[in-house]
Amino acid sequence: MSGFLEFQGVTKRFGHVLAVNDVSFSVKKGEFFSLLGPSGCGKTTLLRLIAGFEQPDEGRILLDGQDITRLPANKRSVNTVFQNYALFPHLSVYDNIAFGLRVARRPKDEIEREVAAMLRLVQMEDKADRFPNQISGGQKQRVAIARALVNKPRVLLLDEPLAALDLKLRQRMLLELDLIHDEVGITFLYVTHDQGEAMSLSDRIAVMHSGVCEQIASPAEVYEAPKTSFVASFIGDTNFFDGVVTSFPENNYCKLDINGFAEVVCYNDKQKAIGDRVNLSLRPEKFRVSVDPPPRQNPHMNVLRARVEDIIYSGNHTNYWVSVGARRVAVYQQHLGYLLDEKPIRWGDDVWLYWDADTGYMLDDYAPIDESLLPPKAPGGAASANPFTSGREDGAAK
Amino acid sequence: MTKKLREALVTSPSFIWLTLFFAIPSLIVLAFTFHGHTANGGVGEWSLSTWRELVDPDYPVIVWKTIRISAEVTAWCILLALPCAYAIARMKTKWRAIVAGAIMLPFWTNFVVRVFAWKTMLHPDGWLQHCYFAFLQFRAWCFEWLPPSVRGFCVWSGLASPTPPDPASSTILDSETAVVLVSVYTLLPFAIMPLYTAAEKFDFSLMEAARDLGAKSFYAFRKVFIPGIRQGLVSAFLMVFIPAIGSYVIPQMLGGTNCVLIGNKIFMRAIQNRNIPHASALATLMAVSVFLPLGCALWWRRHQAARDKREVEVRAARLMLGGTK
Amino acid sequence: MRRSFFSMTMLGLVMAFLYVPVILIFAYGFVPNGVSMSFFGHDGRFLGFSGKWFGLIFSGHYSVRPLLQSFWLSLRIAGLATLVSCVLGTTAALALHKWKSRLQSIHYGLVYTPLIMPDILIGISLLMLFVASGIECGFWTILIAHVTFCVSYVTMTLLARLQDFDDRIIEAAYDLGAGPWYTFFRIELPLLLPGIVAGGLLAFTLSIDDVVITSFVNGAGTNTFPTYVSSMTKHSRNLPAVFVLSTLMLLFTCALVGVSKFLTSNHEPRRKA
Repeated sequence: MSGFLEFQGVTKRFGHVLAVNDVSFSVKKGEFFSLLGPSGCGKTTLLRLIAGFEQPDEGRILLDGQDITRLPANKRSVNTVFQNYALFPHLSVYDNIAFGLRVARRPKDEIEREVAAMLRLVQMEDKADRFPNQISGGQKQRVAIARALVNKPRVLLLDEPLAALDLKLRQRMLLELDLIHDEVGITFLYVTHDQGEAMSLSDRIAVMHSGVCEQIASPAEVYEAPKTSFVASFIGDTNFFDGVVTSFPENNYCKLDINGFAEVVCYNDKQKAIGDRVNLSLRPEKFRVSVDPPPRQNPHMNVLRARVEDIIYSGNHTNYWVSVGARRVAVYQQHLGYLLDEKPIRWGDDVWLYWDADTGYMLDDYAPIDESLLPPKAPGGAASANPFTSGREDGAAK
Repeated sequence: MTKKLREALVTSPSFIWLTLFFAIPSLIVLAFTFHGHTANGGVGEWSLSTWRELVDPDYPVIVWKTIRISAEVTAWCILLALPCAYAIARMKTKWRAIVAGAIMLPFWTNFVVRVFAWKTMLHPDGWLQHCYFAFLQFRAWCFEWLPPSVRGFCVWSGLASPTPPDPASSTILDSETAVVLVSVYTLLPFAIMPLYTAAEKFDFSLMEAARDLGAKSFYAFRKVFIPGIRQGLVSAFLMVFIPAIGSYVIPQMLGGTNCVLIGNKIFMRAIQNRNIPHASALATLMAVSVFLPLGCALWWRRHQAARDKREVEVRAARLMLGGTK
Repeated sequence: MRRSFFSMTMLGLVMAFLYVPVILIFAYGFVPNGVSMSFFGHDGRFLGFSGKWFGLIFSGHYSVRPLLQSFWLSLRIAGLATLVSCVLGTTAALALHKWKSRLQSIHYGLVYTPLIMPDILIGISLLMLFVASGIECGFWTILIAHVTFCVSYVTMTLLARLQDFDDRIIEAAYDLGAGPWYTFFRIELPLLLPGIVAGGLLAFTLSIDDVVITSFVNGAGTNTFPTYVSSMTKHSRNLPAVFVLSTLMLLFTCALVGVSKFLTSNHEPRRKA
C-alpha cells in the first residue's frame, strides 16, 4: 500500500548521534497521525525533515507520490504549527495569518476572504488587530494554527502545540483541534510526548524510541497489544513478568513459570512452545484484589494470595501495591460498588489477587526487562531511611 | 556549496575591514618593535636595539606606576559600585531602569568636556582645592599622633607623607590624586553596570534564606551575595582596569608632569619624538599588561563558571541545613 | 534593612558625584566672565548669568568659528561612521549568529578583540598602518579609525539582541513559503531594527566622544570637536562656548534617545485593513 505521506528508510544523524534510524511508515490522506515518544526520541527531527528544515542522510520522503526529500522548506506544501507558536511579533494577528498568502502573491480580495474565514474558524474575529504580545497563550495557539491552515497545506505539522498551555486550556484546545481536523479534512501530523493527547486525538499513533519507530497502530491497539516493552511501559503503567512456558492446560492457553512468583495461565496468541521465554505485560487495572475469595467464574482465572504493601486512595479508584512472594504487583482497582459497604483493605492485609488469563499480553520478542521502564514504586518500601517515619514503619507492618 | 558561499558573503565585509584595519595594523606594531629608529623619525633596519633600550630605568617605573594607578582606580570603582549595584537591584523594576538610565546620562556629554569641567573645578582657586588642603592638614595632624612603627608603613604605602603640607606644592591639579579621582569618575558607570546586571539576576531569596538561618546581614552579603555576583565582579574589573591601563587623556590634562603613564609615553614617542619603534614597543608592553589579567580572567571564568553556579547553590543549601561554617 | 539604608546612601552620594560636573558644565554655559570662569567678580559680588555664549554660537561669530568647524567635522564623521558601522555590524552579527564554523570563531575574535583593546593601542596601530603605507592622515583616516572601533560595538549590541531572537520565527517564514530575501526584509530586518538603532546610537556617541584614537590619526590641522577641546587651556577665551555646545549636544542626544525609545517600545498598529 502506498500512503499519502510516505517515509522510506529515513535516517538522520547529528554528528555521531543517530536521531532518526531507518524509519519507514506511511500516513493516509486525511488521517490524524501522531508521533509519540519521550523527549530526544527523534520525533521532532522527523517532523523537521518533513517541513524541510533538515535533510535526511538516507532515505526518501514522498508526499502524494512526489519526492520532496531535497525540496527547500519554502517550496513544500506542508505547514507547521510551532511549539512556541513562532508568531511574527511585529505583525498583527491579521498580518500573521495573511503572511503565507501574501508571499504567494494571491489577489487582495482573496486574501481578505481567506483570512476572514480562518479568523472565524479559530474564533478570533475580534482580535484581528491585536499583536502577538497582546493575546493569551491559547489565542496565540489559534493564530498559529490559522496561519498554517490558511495556506491549505497538504499536511499540517503540529510540533507539541499544546505543551506551553496550562492543563485546563490544553483540554479545551484538544477538543478544538479535533473539531478543526474534522472540519478542514487535512492530514494532521502531530508530535507529542503526552500519551493522553495522542490517545484522544489520533487515528493512528507511531510510538518512537531512540530514533526507531517501535509500533504504529491505533490508540487502543497500542495500549492493549504493545509490541515491545518500551511501548507497554511508555503508554500507561504496566506490570512485567518474564517466565518460561511449562505446559498447555488447554488450547491457546499456556502456563508460565515466573521466577519468584506462582505459575500463571495466560493466553498464548504468539504460538510459543514449551521452554520458550516470554515477557508478559499485565496492566494494573486488569487485576482485582479482595478480602473475600473471588467467585469462580471461568477456568482461565488466575487466583493468588497476596499481601498489601501500599495503598493510595484516589476517589474513583485505589492503587494497591501487593506482594506475591518476592514480586510486587501494582493494581489499580475501580470501585464498582459502594466502597464503604465493602470490607476495607488495609496495609499488611492478606488478600486475594485475581485476573483473567485473557487480559495479559505477551510481547512479540523476549527481552530482559529494563527496570527504568517499570511504574514508579509507591513510597513506603524504601522509605525507612526517612528519619520522620522511622517509628511508623514497624506499626504498619504489624 | 551555496551555503558556504552565503556564509562567506555575509562574513566578508566586517571580516575584511577588521583584518585590514585591526589585525594587520596590530601585526605592524609588533613588527616595528624589531626595528631600530632613524634620526629623521623613520623606521630603520631590523634590530633588537629597541627592546634593549626599553631597559632604560625610566620605562619599568612608568609601567609599574600605570599598573598601580589602574589598580587604585579599579579598587575605588568596585568599592563604590558594589553598594550602588545592590541598591539598584533591590529596587522595583520600574525604578531600576530609571536609575540605571540616570547613571548613564552624564556620559552622553562629551568625555573631554567632562574632564575639562573637572579641570576647572580642581583649579588652585577652586573650592575643591581648599577642601583638599584642609584634608592634607588633617592628615598631617593625625600622623603626629601615630606610633613610629605605623608611621613607617604609612609613608611606605603612600598613605601619608612625613613632611607637613605645603600650599604651593599640594595642588590637586597636576597630581596623581586628580588622575585617580577623575578616572574613577569616568569609569564608575562601567563598574556599576556589570555589577548591577549580575545583581539583578541574583536570587535575593538566598539572602533571606541565609538570614533566616541566623546569618547577620553583612555575613550574608559577604558569603552569599558576593560569590553570587562573582561573574559581574570579573566583568567590572576588566571594564575598569583595561581602560585605566590605556588611559592617556586624563593624565595628560590633569596629571601634568607628575603623572606620566604609558599612554602618555606612547603618544610622546609616536607624535612628538617620532620614534615609532619605541612607541610600538611601549604599545606591546601595554598590550601584554592588558592581556595578562584578561587571559587569567578568561581562563578562570571557563574553569569556574560551571563550578561557581553549583557552589552558590551548595552554599545556600548548606546554610539551609544549618551549617554556617 | 540597615544594609539597604547604607547602600541607598552610597547610591545617593555616587549620583551626586556623577552629576556635579554635568551641572557645572550646564552652569558654565552661562558664566559672565570667560577668563576667570567665575560667576563672582574680584570683589566677591555676584555677576549674574550671561547668555552671550549662546549668542556667539548661534551667530557663528568668528571667534568660535574653529570650534564650530571642528564640531561640524565631528558630526560628519560620526554620521558616516555610524552608517558604515551599522551595515558592517549587522552583517557581522548575522553571520556570527547564523553559522558556527571555524571561520566564525576567527571572525568573533576579530570583532571582540577591539572591545578589550585600550583605545590608544587601536590608535597607534592604525597610525603605524598609515605610516607604513604612506597614507596622508586626515578626514578619511579618522573615518576609517572610527568605523573600526564602532563595528565591534554595533555587532555586540546586535548579537545580544539576536540571542533573544526566536530562530523558529525564521523557520516559520520559510515554512509559510517565503524565500531568504523576503524573510530578511520582511521578518529579520524589522525585528532587528531596534537593535540596529541602539547600536547605531552607541556608535554615534562613541565616535563623537573619541579623542584618543583621533589624536593619533587626525594629522596636522584636522581637529574634531574633542581633539580641539583637549588642545584648549583653561585660559582659552571661548571655553564657555564649549560648555554651551556640549550642553546643547546633551539635550539633543537625550531627545534622540527619548524618541528612539518611544519608537521602539511602541510598535502599534500601522495597518490599513
